[in-house]
Amino acid sequence: MFRSGFWRRFDFWLLGTIIIALVFGVTMIRSAIAGNDSLSEVVIRQIIFGSLGFVVILIVAVIDYRFWSGAIGPMYVVIVVALGALKVIGGTRFGATRWIETGLVSIQPTELAKIVVILALANFFAKTSDAPRNWVWLVKSLLITLGIAGLIYIQPNLSNVIVTMTLWAALTWVSGVQLKHLGVIALTGISLVGIMIFSPVLEQYQRDRIFDFLINDPNASYGATYNVRQALAALASGGWFGKGYGLGSQTQLRFMKVRHTDFIFSVIGEEFGFVGTVLVLALLGFIIYRCLRAARLARDPFGSLIAYGVAILIFFQGAVNIAVNLNLIPVTGVPLPFISYGGSGLLSLMLGVGLVESVALRSKSLDV
Amino acid sequence: MTTLPRFTRRENWRQLVVYGVAVLLGLVFVARLFSLQIINGDTYLVQTEDNRTDTISDPPARGIVYDRNGIILANNIASYSIIITPAYLPDDEGDIQRIYRDLSELTGVEVGSPVLDPLTDESLIAAKLFAPCVPGPSIIDLVTLGETNAPYEPVKIQCNVGEEIAMIVRERASDWPGVDVLIEPLRDYPTGSLTANIIGFLGPIPAILEQEYRDLGFLPNRDKVGYSGVEYTLNDILMGTPGERTVEVDVAGAVLRNLAPPVDPVAGYNVVLTIDTRLQQAAQTALLNAIEYWNEVYYGYYRISSGAVIAMDPQTGEILAMVQYPTYENNRMVRYIPAYYYNQLEQDPAHPLLNYAVNTEFPPGSTFKLTTALGVLNEGIVTPESIIDAPAIIGVTNTYSPTDPGKVEYYYDWTYTFYGETSGLGKLPFLKCIALSSDACFYKVGGGFEDEVPEGLGILRLQEYARALGYDQQSGIELPGELTGLIPDPTWKRIFRGENWSTGDTYLASVGQGYVLATPLQVLMSAATIANDGKLMQPTVVYEIRDEQGNVIQPFTPRMRWDITQDPIIRDFECDGGYCIETGEMKPVEYWVVQAVQSGMRMAATDSRGTLNHDFSFQNYPIAIAGKTGTAEYCDDVAFTKGLCQRGEWPAHGWTVAYAPFDNPEIAIIAFLYNAGEGGRVAAPIVRDVMNAYFEIKAIDTAQGLTGSP
Repeated sequence: MFRSGFWRRFDFWLLGTIIIALVFGVTMIRSAIAGNDSLSEVVIRQIIFGSLGFVVILIVAVIDYRFWSGAIGPMYVVIVVALGALKVIGGTRFGATRWIETGLVSIQPTELAKIVVILALANFFAKTSDAPRNWVWLVKSLLITLGIAGLIYIQPNLSNVIVTMTLWAALTWVSGVQLKHLGVIALTGISLVGIMIFSPVLEQYQRDRIFDFLINDPNASYGATYNVRQALAALASGGWFGKGYGLGSQTQLRFMKVRHTDFIFSVIGEEFGFVGTVLVLALLGFIIYRCLRAARLARDPFGSLIAYGVAILIFFQGAVNIAVNLNLIPVTGVPLPFISYGGSGLLSLMLGVGLVESVALRSKSLDV
Repeated sequence: MTTLPRFTRRENWRQLVVYGVAVLLGLVFVARLFSLQIINGDTYLVQTEDNRTDTISDPPARGIVYDRNGIILANNIASYSIIITPAYLPDDEGDIQRIYRDLSELTGVEVGSPVLDPLTDESLIAAKLFAPCVPGPSIIDLVTLGETNAPYEPVKIQCNVGEEIAMIVRERASDWPGVDVLIEPLRDYPTGSLTANIIGFLGPIPAILEQEYRDLGFLPNRDKVGYSGVEYTLNDILMGTPGERTVEVDVAGAVLRNLAPPVDPVAGYNVVLTIDTRLQQAAQTALLNAIEYWNEVYYGYYRISSGAVIAMDPQTGEILAMVQYPTYENNRMVRYIPAYYYNQLEQDPAHPLLNYAVNTEFPPGSTFKLTTALGVLNEGIVTPESIIDAPAIIGVTNTYSPTDPGKVEYYYDWTYTFYGETSGLGKLPFLKCIALSSDACFYKVGGGFEDEVPEGLGILRLQEYARALGYDQQSGIELPGELTGLIPDPTWKRIFRGENWSTGDTYLASVGQGYVLATPLQVLMSAATIANDGKLMQPTVVYEIRDEQGNVIQPFTPRMRWDITQDPIIRDFECDGGYCIETGEMKPVEYWVVQAVQSGMRMAATDSRGTLNHDFSFQNYPIAIAGKTGTAEYCDDVAFTKGLCQRGEWPAHGWTVAYAPFDNPEIAIIAFLYNAGEGGRVAAPIVRDVMNAYFEIKAIDTAQGLTGSP
């Protein structure tokens, strides 16, 4: 493993891009806290989490990803217990129980759960790569996903349920789900969503957010649309090159809220303009491309599916976050990968990247 | 490794779909970014600039109003309010509670109980009903409401606290972060009700003028405008110009810095009035004493419900005093106009909110004989020496048209009321008709009487002379809502009464009765114009206008509107049998005519039977005075409902107008008392008292080397 040449297959492009994204993210977080004393520790924490993540990437890369195949069962049980424990001991923030308050940091097991879902599904689809793509196969994979997604749902945390279900859909898609099965599932899903929206299953705030977005009610309360409008104005007012680092009035004078998490993309837009936002798109695009490349070159379906799943995770979260910032979809609490502030989310994504590196290290050929 | 080929084969097109979706989405994002940032970027930039930019208007200090001797009549005083800026309160809840408790102990405002959820429906309703400075809400209520709306906006905890408490709060400011004292200017009227009818009061900017004042930089909830008196008429001069600062604010409204050089506010101009507060005080005392005496001692019931006194320099038009009863306390209106007080004033039948000098009109009664005499002599109806028989009653044919045979009606002299049918003043030279105020004499010269006065003055010519003396028009004094009075003529009567002019109407108009109405200021002006040898001076309450540094912006210059002995302002009429036709020529009043009327007025004080020559008025008065009394019968709504309007014994207002010294008049004074009865008895003593005060004040000023002008 430590023989010379082993690290030659390590994807330095991927790691390098992620470090660039992280550094850029920390810089933007520093600007986004806008002199708010209560947020000043956020920058340090992001640096600590980034450094921790760097270590995680290296460690996970060294460990052969095939090792995880055997550990899926215990991992799945642990994460289900952790998610269940949230309901009992978790702290409520903004109306949802998503955090386990420890002495030092708040841990959000949901983030880790998404990696577990990727591993579990990759394992399942790799093992069943020869099995017929029938209903039994599909329902089994669905049950694996729902075991975790269901627990996320009762937090309640609708956006991560959607992320989890998207991972499942993407992995079944690439594993060869029959189109007619996909159609049935899609129809069922749409009707389920319809029932949920018009029944009391959804929390009021979730329904409000969807309605606020779908029907742009001119009588909507000022507060409901305030932050979306302020963020959009911030982003769009940047023009070609932005107002300059630390000079965005919307950011620095705090007209926008949750600047360092959900709306960091708008901060970038305001302070670095079109050039800055397209650069961020390019950075993320390149990271996703490197993950998909690892998937293509993987030695086996398990590795390929892991890398593919992580690519989908980064892609989907990034796309949702940017779409929110561009006011294309309703507000969800999904951070911008590697750039937004967020300890658990960042660590989990870096863990995912570690898995991709592990796959890349053991890919079938160096030259493709 | 055996599964790999199948896997790769299967994934190819499916993976291409995923790539496709990703690339497509990326393109959508880039397109959207381009649309937002590049195409519409400027629009959003304006929006964000708007967000961070705020324009703050700094209020100017309102001009100060002085009397002619520099005594302050309207001023700005500091009003202290204790405020809390929620954003500056300490973080620790315990510290906040301690501040609240200390503050409560100092001010007596309750601390209140913590509000758990401030955004309930009840608290929102309470917030909408919330008006600053009205006691009631607790400190916590006020702060919570303020914090919810705008945390950097100070909340008034208690308004108008004493200077002592304000100082204590100031001293403890370092112990009490977030607590401060707000100093706001408040209008103060040191002379209060004494000058309220002249000064007026302020009120909020009316909704209809809101835009106009906003454009000038004033704020409806902060700045006030004049509602009456000179505060109203001189509002634009007194208000000044607000300053303006364009500042950067953050989301909480905290001001960060100026974005442009600030424009400082410019204080309003100061105004010096012609009023002499000492004379004003003397006039008020004289008026109130007289009313009190007649009501409480003489009549024994509340008979005289109102009255007014005006003193003026006839040579310059300066109003030296202008008092009235009843009046109101304008200091009660300075913070806000209390509804109950205002309604009470509004509904008072004696109308304390009106300025009696210009906002009310009454029949001038015999004081109007000055006008008639002027006309009669100038038109040559009689000469000053003509002897007129003045019985207690005359019978004349009252006709409504030349063909109307009419019927005889009787017109009574004031002697009839006092001494009976057989009395009268006997045969009088015309000038004594003025001095003794013979009604019979003036009926005859005004309307014509048999062979004695074949052709009377007539209403059309009377109207000319009345207008020449200032009747039937606004004087143009700097006071709002001035009435014009009324000098009727046949056209007016046909339009407003639906009836032809009758010969009897002319008889009544000749003695200031019937349809004739005048404001007290107009009656004063008529006498002052005669006193001033026919020069009608513009009456004014404004002496000069000064800027903040005391430089005179607009000095006082007496303004003559016309000289009746020089300016041809009388339309000439050709009259025959009481019917007059305009000749188209204009003429002035002969100078000797004005002098003759002056002599008539002088004789009122010197003749043994003169109306002003009584031991209770001007008998043996050391200074040569001249004047005219008036007892004006009336029947208004108040008298009518009381059933007082009985023919021959109508209720009457008392008038007296006089000036002195006769040879070089420097003071003209009028007193008017509503429903007082005989003017020579009730009003003349007031005029005498004020005249005494005037000459006393003059003596004091002369002794001190002052000239009487500021």
